[in-house]
Amino acid sequence: MATNGIINIRNVSFYRGDRVIFENLNCAIAAGKITAIMGPSGTGKTTLLRLIGGQLQPHKGQVLLFDQDIARLNRKQLNHLRARMGVLFQSGALFTDLSVFENVAFPLREHMNLSADELYNRVLLKLEAVGLRGARDLMPSQLSGGMARRVALARAVAMEPEIILYDEPFAGQDPIAMAVLQRLIKGLNSQMQLTSVLVSHDIAEACAIADQVILLGEGRVLAQDSPAALQASADPAVKQFIHGEADGVIPFHFPALPLQEELRGQSK
Amino acid sequence: MINLIADLGAGLLTRLVQIGQALLMLLQAIFVQPKASSLPRLMQQLFVVGVQSLIIMLVSALFIGMVLGLQGYTLLSAYGSEQAVGQMVALTLVRELSPVVAALLFAGRAGSALTAEIGLMKATEQLASLEMFGIDPLHRIVAPRFWAGMISLPLLVAIFSLVGIYGGHLVAVDWLGVYSGSYWGNMQQAVDFNEDVLNGMIKALVFAFLISWIALYQGYSCVPTSQGISAATTRTVVYSSLAILGFDFILTALMFGGAV
Repeated sequence: MATNGIINIRNVSFYRGDRVIFENLNCAIAAGKITAIMGPSGTGKTTLLRLIGGQLQPHKGQVLLFDQDIARLNRKQLNHLRARMGVLFQSGALFTDLSVFENVAFPLREHMNLSADELYNRVLLKLEAVGLRGARDLMPSQLSGGMARRVALARAVAMEPEIILYDEPFAGQDPIAMAVLQRLIKGLNSQMQLTSVLVSHDIAEACAIADQVILLGEGRVLAQDSPAALQASADPAVKQFIHGEADGVIPFHFPALPLQEELRGQSK
Repeated sequence: MINLIADLGAGLLTRLVQIGQALLMLLQAIFVQPKASSLPRLMQQLFVVGVQSLIIMLVSALFIGMVLGLQGYTLLSAYGSEQAVGQMVALTLVRELSPVVAALLFAGRAGSALTAEIGLMKATEQLASLEMFGIDPLHRIVAPRFWAGMISLPLLVAIFSLVGIYGGHLVAVDWLGVYSGSYWGNMQQAVDFNEDVLNGMIKALVFAFLISWIALYQGYSCVPTSQGISAATTRTVVYSSLAILGFDFILTALMFGGAV
């Protein structure tokens, strides 16, 4: 099957109850690049990440990863595919009963037959890459939010995956942690020749490191282009989101009756 | 009226679907080839679920045994049969009170903790993270906790009976002066291993299955928010308690109902 990206989303529709999240969504994620998936809250950015990771199945259409339709894979094949993929969850999702070292060692112990020395060295190198070699004996409860996310990043790249998915990596981080994470994502991507998919609504931070941006809205792709091209776009929806304007074609208010009709004791 | 019937039907269907889902979850979790690497996880859960429930069981068993000793002595001495107090304490404990009370305590102590732990793992994306590492959370998280419950509760029930009988001895013999030989002798004569001890253990196994199943399903399927986890934990205790009491009647009727 001819494809134009390492990840291809083909005519994907996904619903939550009666609510349409995606309707005939099409997009492609290029190999070796950093792709930022952006859009207003509730547009299904994290859902798209979960569809790519095979945690959710589309109701219609195909999600192709390395040219394989995820929905057609059995559990063993899916697990094999997942071994080529790392995920950085929004909360970090560190195992709270394991130390920092053991968290990073976890996927290696499960999937690779390394000697004790090889495993130790590999974990230490991954922790060194995120600047937390000295914190290897700490427990997750002893880490700050930024540190926990860096440990989770070290764990996500421990297996040296080909694709890495980041779910809101900058959310709730202070400016220093944000800059460090930016540098790490960019650095890891070029050093390990990864394909990085980044879900974020931190426009400046994501645009600074992304090679391409996919802008989601109203259940479809509003735009897919380089950050510079999107900054210069004249499309009203793209302009409103990129420049953070409250008024525009993307509604700020959840659908409701006119305010005058809902206020009590007001003459109509 | 039609709406009421429709609502009842819809409610019943939802419950049936939930029971089906819970059964599927359990089957997927437990029908897996055991590996040597799973043993440390089982041991850890046996400690958390079993050993850490020991203190509350010991203290409760002692007091329940003491109350039985006191009540039994008061009642039986009116007929001059206080020598039978040992048999009364042992039969009450082995047949009924040990399995039921230990199971209720186990649901409150270990069941609620299991639900809250798995619910929090879900809320903090630890289960999703396992899945993304190609590890089935049902095998890794649910299975060892289920087997730990199945092994722990029968052992806790046996310990409960033992301590309860000593509690009864403490009051009836050491405090109220019943002859120690009668206390143990009558007990030995009256308690039958198959009829009483084994049936009590069968009850313990059934209760362990119910509590572990309910607690794990509630945690695994909860809405991953603080309110959702709190509601799931409450449901574990309520559903487990009702299931224990309901099944106790059914099992008692099946085991001992023939004599009626």
